[in-house]
Amino acid sequence: MSLSWNEFPCIALPAMLCWLSAGLLACRRPRSARSVYVVDALTITGIALSAVFIAAFWNALSRPPLRTMGETRLWYALFMILAGYITYRRWNYPWLLLLSAIVATVFTAINVLKPEIHSVALMPALQSFLFIPHVIIYIIAYAFFGVATLAAGVLFFRRRSGNGNDNGLLTFVDDLVHVGFGFLALGLLLGAVWAKEAWGHYWSWDPKETLAFITGAAYLVYIHLRHQGRKDNFVLWTLLVAFLLLLLCWFGTALLPRSSLHLYS
Amino acid sequence: MSLSFSRAQHTCSTTRKLWQFPWGYPEAALFVASIILVGFMLQLTVGHFDIAILHYPANLIALAILAGLIALGTRFQNSLFMHWIAGIPVAITLTVALLLFGLYMELTPQLPRMPTQTPDLVSRLGFRMITASWPFVFLYTMTLIALGITTLKRLLRFSRRDITFLCNHLGLWVLLASAGFGAADMMRVVMHVGAGETEWRVFNQNEEALELPVAITLKKFTLEEYPPNLTIIDRQAPPAPQPDSKPQPKNKQEFFQIDPKRPKGRIGDWAITLDEYLHTAVRVGGEYRASPMPESTPAAKITVQNLLTGEIKTGWVSAGGNTPDLFFSDLSLDERYSFAMTQPEPRRYASDITIIPKEGESFDAILEVNKPVSVGDWMIYQYGYETALGKLSHWSEMELVYDPWLLPAKIGMFLMAAGSLLLAWNGAGRRRTNQ
Ligand code: HEM
Repeated sequence: MSLSWNEFPCIALPAMLCWLSAGLLACRRPRSARSVYVVDALTITGIALSAVFIAAFWNALSRPPLRTMGETRLWYALFMILAGYITYRRWNYPWLLLLSAIVATVFTAINVLKPEIHSVALMPALQSFLFIPHVIIYIIAYAFFGVATLAAGVLFFRRRSGNGNDNGLLTFVDDLVHVGFGFLALGLLLGAVWAKEAWGHYWSWDPKETLAFITGAAYLVYIHLRHQGRKDNFVLWTLLVAFLLLLLCWFGTALLPRSSLHLYS
Repeated sequence: MSLSFSRAQHTCSTTRKLWQFPWGYPEAALFVASIILVGFMLQLTVGHFDIAILHYPANLIALAILAGLIALGTRFQNSLFMHWIAGIPVAITLTVALLLFGLYMELTPQLPRMPTQTPDLVSRLGFRMITASWPFVFLYTMTLIALGITTLKRLLRFSRRDITFLCNHLGLWVLLASAGFGAADMMRVVMHVGAGETEWRVFNQNEEALELPVAITLKKFTLEEYPPNLTIIDRQAPPAPQPDSKPQPKNKQEFFQIDPKRPKGRIGDWAITLDEYLHTAVRVGGEYRASPMPESTPAAKITVQNLLTGEIKTGWVSAGGNTPDLFFSDLSLDERYSFAMTQPEPRRYASDITIIPKEGESFDAILEVNKPVSVGDWMIYQYGYETALGKLSHWSEMELVYDPWLLPAKIGMFLMAAGSLLLAWNGAGRRRTNQ
């Protein structure tokens, strides 16, 4: 089966509906056993729909859809909702499912409204078995950091409204940041191995590499601050700054003054 | 244990004076700021840090001194000073300082090598080449020292529970050390080899030859292309070097990717059907025929229909072959617009070579982008070719990279990869029980 951006809305709209209704249903009180099942069914249907689209789109392009911003948004939406769903199931934070459903919906909606039409050609430098793991692992890291930022935001506002100091939530944020950092470092290392194969050196302070370094350093500040036992709002703010740097890393390369080896489209 | 120490320091910090032990963030900030300041002063007096001074064996000696300092520091690990050096406040302050240098590097243009002219103050302070500036080098070295002491301390009283910590910190230390000291021995040169020729020299700008420990014979250069794109151009637009430099519609240019699997598409108001596609074709009369001749070009027969007027046209469109400004199209839409084909992009290019090392057996290899070949401490890469000639290029360029410190760098990366997997698997893990 092969699908293109032309067919995308027919799949994206039901997927977004599934995610959003699952998120809303999960947050509704009181919760019945049946509604829990419905939440699962809806989320999984939405996830399956977007996964099927990616697979069929990949097939149509005869190359992995990882090259343009539009294509990476597809993956981000998928991993965002996956990360949200897994953490919802594991730690039982229903609001997290809703928030990640909203983020995934926003990313999908951008693709519906403004798909990017482009060629199927994949230039030689991108033809490597490291291409897919490098980009996908980064996107998974971004998804975890995205969820961590959302959770930190909720914690911040709970604290402001004097709604108890939820240490469980902070520990949960720690978990997300550590997992995210693990993926970020893996993506970076795979990138380094690939850079050695393609460009001759594993690190050349290319703008994208520099940004990845900056992002990683910012999350290290959080990790080490927390290791010291700090719990105040300052650590939450470092998380926000780190996420802003991450966004810059993701979207900013094209806007920045230095030209990058990473610009391919 | 370190945790309780940092807690203690946290509570003390309200009552103690600056520079009164135990030290914390204020001292770390002043310390790092003074390293940077000394770096700037050195930068102004002696100029850039020239990595060449660390050329082998100087880098090995420097590394030994650094390792000695770390071992000495670990020997006195119970002193309050060493607690501080190997503690979180110094680690965070160094990380933030490096982050800020990175951010500056990101936001401003950086030069690839030292400027020769007498430069302005910004250059003299090293801001146009951050990674070769003394403040940056000092920060890097200080990070190696602090990270080294932190790691060695834990390594000496090894505990299985520290495995994630050790993988990450030891791996990072090994990687940073090999990347930093190895940079002094790195060499990158580009060798130009004509088809059928053997070369062992590279030339610099002054045409001076440098002889390498390997010779390379280029047996053949091959290049495969993707099918090109179709687009609509404005023939009345000012003459441009490329026919596709004025693709239409103007505000957002559109292309139709030729792909026999998907023969239908659309540009602007025109629906396109691909009737026939020949990747290597020559023009015979008004038609195109498949032909493997060197001067062949891609050609496509298409039918287009205007979605507003219903008008239908059919004709051949071809790329200009080896002369990009010469394109041919029977498919004029009106006085002004016509269909045209872009130059095909390379799908794959490769050099079929024989590598003849100074010592050892010679061997054949196919050199391709992303598929380098290594010979001892050298790696050989496919680099370039005569792009104007494309598949007819009669030479190929290869980059040769010498990095004798690659192995330790790889070991560091491997350790870090293990540490990352552990982090991804465990999350904050055991820290929770610590709180
Ligand atoms: C890839 C980079 C890094 C990662 C993933 C990382 C992660 C961590 C983690 C998870 C801890 C808590 C470990 C535990 O106690 O089990 C920690 C502690 C620590 N890290 Fe890092 N870190 C990194 C880089 C650095 C750097 C560059 C420095 C110093 C310049 C540093 C200095 C420290 C120190 C001083 C501690 C506390 C050690 C102790 O209390 O005994 N780390 N790090």
